[in-house]
Amino acid sequence: MTLGEPAFSDLRAVIEAEEFPDVDLALRSGRHIGRDDESWYAFLSDAQEQLEAFYRRYGCELVHKTDGYFYLLPSGDKLPRRHLSAADMLVGQALALLYLDPGTVQTGGVVGRDDVLAQLDGILGTDAVIRALNPKRKRYDERVAQETARRKAAEATRRLAGLGFVEVTAEGAIRLRPPLLRFAEPARGAGSPAEALAKLVARGDVVMTEDEGEAERPAGDDEAAQPAPSGDDG
Amino acid sequence: MSATDVESRDPERAVAEVAARGLSLELGTTDLCFVMALYVRGRRGQLASFREDQLEDAFAHVADVTGSADCASGQVKSRATRAIGRLRDQRMLSRIDGLGVVKAPEYALTRLATAIADYLLEEEILTRDSLTVLTRTLGASLGEVREAARAARAPEDWRAGVAVPLEVTARDLVAGIERRQRGLDQRHESFQAEIRALLEADWFGAVERCQALLEETSRTLRELGDLLLRDTCALQDTLQDIQDAAGGAGAEEAERAARRVADELDRIVAWGGARQGAWSEYYQYVHRFLRDVVRLDPARTLTQRLREQLAGQAGRSFSLTVAAAPKIRLLREAPVPVDDTPVRRRRARRDREPAIEPAEDPQEALFGDVEAALSAGAPALSAVTEEIAAAVPNEERYAAAGRVAHAVAVLGRPRAPRARPWVPVSGDVIIEDWALSAKDDES
Repeated sequence: MTLGEPAFSDLRAVIEAEEFPDVDLALRSGRHIGRDDESWYAFLSDAQEQLEAFYRRYGCELVHKTDGYFYLLPSGDKLPRRHLSAADMLVGQALALLYLDPGTVQTGGVVGRDDVLAQLDGILGTDAVIRALNPKRKRYDERVAQETARRKAAEATRRLAGLGFVEVTAEGAIRLRPPLLRFAEPARGAGSPAEALAKLVARGDVVMTEDEGEAERPAGDDEAAQPAPSGDDG
Repeated sequence: MSATDVESRDPERAVAEVAARGLSLELGTTDLCFVMALYVRGRRGQLASFREDQLEDAFAHVADVTGSADCASGQVKSRATRAIGRLRDQRMLSRIDGLGVVKAPEYALTRLATAIADYLLEEEILTRDSLTVLTRTLGASLGEVREAARAARAPEDWRAGVAVPLEVTARDLVAGIERRQRGLDQRHESFQAEIRALLEADWFGAVERCQALLEETSRTLRELGDLLLRDTCALQDTLQDIQDAAGGAGAEEAERAARRVADELDRIVAWGGARQGAWSEYYQYVHRFLRDVVRLDPARTLTQRLREQLAGQAGRSFSLTVAAAPKIRLLREAPVPVDDTPVRRRRARRDREPAIEPAEDPQEALFGDVEAALSAGAPALSAVTEEIAAAVPNEERYAAAGRVAHAVAVLGRPRAPRARPWVPVSGDVIIEDWALSAKDDES
């Protein structure tokens, strides 16, 4: 291959590439692939043109953000999709704020689990955080509710790590990754957040949730995906 | 205690000894300042020891500087006395005159106190210049040791000319490099904190300064790494020569000392590689942060909006959509059943099922056999008994002999004179023999 020449001549060459099976499975399972996933990201960058056409046939869009990450957005019925739970969204936005915080520059983008709850606590207040992470309980014991909130936040972090938004290190710390900026998408741009949100809804990137607790699912229920109406998972 | 002694100690035992002795260090800021003041005064005035009035004077000065002297002079003196007592209890000051009450005491800082003061004062950081000087000095020192190794003949030559200089001079120089490396590590930590502080203080305006800091540190690390690689190669060659010479002459102590210095040099080079790797990751992260976050959001609007979004001020809540294809179901290979029945001895059935067999009258059979023997012309009871009893097991022969005698008496015509001979039959059995008459004789 010479400079300027595309890395892959056609889709067959892409599919025959060593990285394809793993990257394909990861994208289909909802994983976001960022610059940190060096070889996968390089593969997707090289094969972007062919793969965009490939996934379009499944009713999906291969999205590439300039922040440095790819993800698969199902818009048709051929590939199942799901929406993040309220706890995942809450923790994801707190992590996105930490990603933007100059304080995390000192640690090279690595934060502790406590930092996430501290961030939420600082913005929403303790009571609101506990209520948001214990949505089905009207009355609760404070100690138990706090313990539940910590557990739910940890579970949400684990699920977000499975989707490639963060990486949980062997020491239990959280390495923040560029895909977290997806949580900040409605807040981006020159227009109002409501306009940005409406555009994202129109694209199918997000859905509006009426009830905070609606999307809440039991822990480890990652596979509880919203099935495609046709039942065809591609 | 030499470095070798430390390396050979069992860590658990060392810890247990400290615990058993109940050692502790409790130094407040004033005590640390007092130690520092004594150390600096000693260095400046070339003082090997301090008189009590000098200690009190130093303490008064420390109290003055630290702003804790707002009390009468008598109180400062008593505080100085207590501070001296604390330092002595914690082995930071030792009395060196040994004259008891005869003379006013003189004190010196202990090795522990000077080490603490050294640590607090030192600004030793590995720089291109300090590394060049240190490696050059180490190279010269090792060159001398190599010459000594080549000229060494007696064991004492090896010890005095090679082993001891390697243990003392060379290892001290290597330790000097390592100490400065640790200093540089601390400097890097403060760089990271400085970058954070710069961004917090002036978000967009700090970009240039942050980049300059990153570049400067990267350049320093790169230069140090290159220098370490280049210089340590030559040093390792010299050490290899010394090891070879010591190995050839059987000078084990010198060979060990050379190997230890070589290992420490390896560690120093590894430090260079590790720090470059770690810094490279950090460098990339901060650059990405400056490019993707700071430059694209110069007024930190995104952060503010995201905070509002999280706080619920931006309208209804939303949820991200992600793909969720189930995992491909891979059929497992059918496992080959393994017969894991434990090996056991086959259990024999103790009870046999009853079976119908034709009845056999042993007496009738015996009579048949005796009849046959008599018909064959057996001359005496012993001959019949011999023939029939020989076919039965030894332990049954006695009984069999009785039965045979009975059958012969019934079927034959025995003649029993008054004196009958005792005849052995079939091994252990002895019977009274009867002569037999043929049946024809009777008729």
